[in-house]
Amino acid sequence: MSWQQVCTTDDVDEDEMQEFEVGDITILVANASGEFYAYPPFCPHQETPLSLGMIDDDTLTCIKHLWQWNLKTGEMLDNAESPLLLYEVKVEGEVVLVNLEKELKYDYQ
Amino acid sequence: MKIFVRTRGEPFEFDCARNEKVLQAGLRAGVGLPFECGSGTCGTCKAELGTGELDEGWQEAPGRAYVKKEKSEFLMCQASPRSDCTIGVRAKVAPFPDGVPVPGHVSGQITKFEPLTHDVCRFEVTIESSILFHAGQFMLIGTEAIEGQRAYSMSHYRDNTDILEFVVKQVPDGGFTDWLFADDRTGSGLELFGPLGTATYTPTLSNNLVCIAGGSGLAPMLSILEHAVEAGHFSTYQGDLFFGVRTEDDIYLLERLERITSEAKGKVRTTVVLSDIIPSSFLSDTHSELRFDKGFVHESAMQKMEGKWENVMAYLAGPPPMIDATLRSLVLEAKLSPAAIRYDKFS
Repeated sequence: MSWQQVCTTDDVDEDEMQEFEVGDITILVANASGEFYAYPPFCPHQETPLSLGMIDDDTLTCIKHLWQWNLKTGEMLDNAESPLLLYEVKVEGEVVLVNLEKELKYDYQ
Repeated sequence: MKIFVRTRGEPFEFDCARNEKVLQAGLRAGVGLPFECGSGTCGTCKAELGTGELDEGWQEAPGRAYVKKEKSEFLMCQASPRSDCTIGVRAKVAPFPDGVPVPGHVSGQITKFEPLTHDVCRFEVTIESSILFHAGQFMLIGTEAIEGQRAYSMSHYRDNTDILEFVVKQVPDGGFTDWLFADDRTGSGLELFGPLGTATYTPTLSNNLVCIAGGSGLAPMLSILEHAVEAGHFSTYQGDLFFGVRTEDDIYLLERLERITSEAKGKVRTTVVLSDIIPSSFLSDTHSELRFDKGFVHESAMQKMEGKWENVMAYLAGPPPMIDATLRSLVLEAKLSPAAIRYDKFS
């Protein structure tokens, strides 16, 4: 069974992101207008923590070089050169669950 | 010695001397290798060694934290070859675009040295041959007395020049600035590499300019604004400069800011923002063409620029926390696209 509880819906404020540890895996959870999304903790470009980035509507921006993605799909916007990896997420009541069948990693890791 | 580079795009090869850094050899050959600080801090220039042998240089370089030994990674800005090498770079690498100055090594001598505040100085370096640079670019500067090189922006603009001007702030435990501030360094020899940096202004730009600077981050803004004034940019476009420091004692080169403001005939507005104290009425009385404000420089910029972010190119320079706070405001409040924001992150 690979669905794991990562946090509750109260743990991440709206339009904010926060890292959580599940076993050895670090997950970044984003709350975008009440919808929850989960990613590896780093920018696909370099090892900049995406938790330092910004959420504005459907756009996630990394603070380092302002690479941007659609936070729902991981699709690149504007100047990004690599897509954002997403974990599957489901919310049951107040519990945020993430499908951790396999840890998602970028090629520099 | 030859360096062969595999990249995510086309491969490159270039010569690198035994005492030369791989990064500088590549850039000098017009290969746009990835880097930011060029001085061992940021880790952006890491690459993988395939075959050959390298001297990895400065062991304590903070950027080594990003390097994975088990993948044979190294910092191109620190390493020099001991044989021909093949290396891999995980980035799309392209030759320098036409019109962008290709950097090189140049020796120079400090020919003017002037303290501006208790921890900021201005100095001029006369270099052995003229170079071209774009307003907003920087040089890596080193001296025999100190290991490694540090990045400093030119604080003036001249078309083709053998004199470079810099404004430098003394940082705690900063090897180069400790050396620089310890004495009058007029006559000292320096080794420079450049020009580098992409946060540039050229007269083909068709935007209003907004320059947001903290501390010695004013240096590249002086270069950009002085070039823009000279190029007639402000006959068509507007300019706004926000210069943030802590107290009145940290303000410098106000006469240069006044000159820019008056030469731009009212089209450039300059706001000096003090974070720690309320500006005195003496300041505003004696510098009537400038505005003074209290607060953080990015907050002052957001307030004064409200509703005026159309067709803007924003330039940022200053300490990393100020840059990050300003980026957040520009993206989230001003809704600027990344293409409308230019800065070089040194750390």
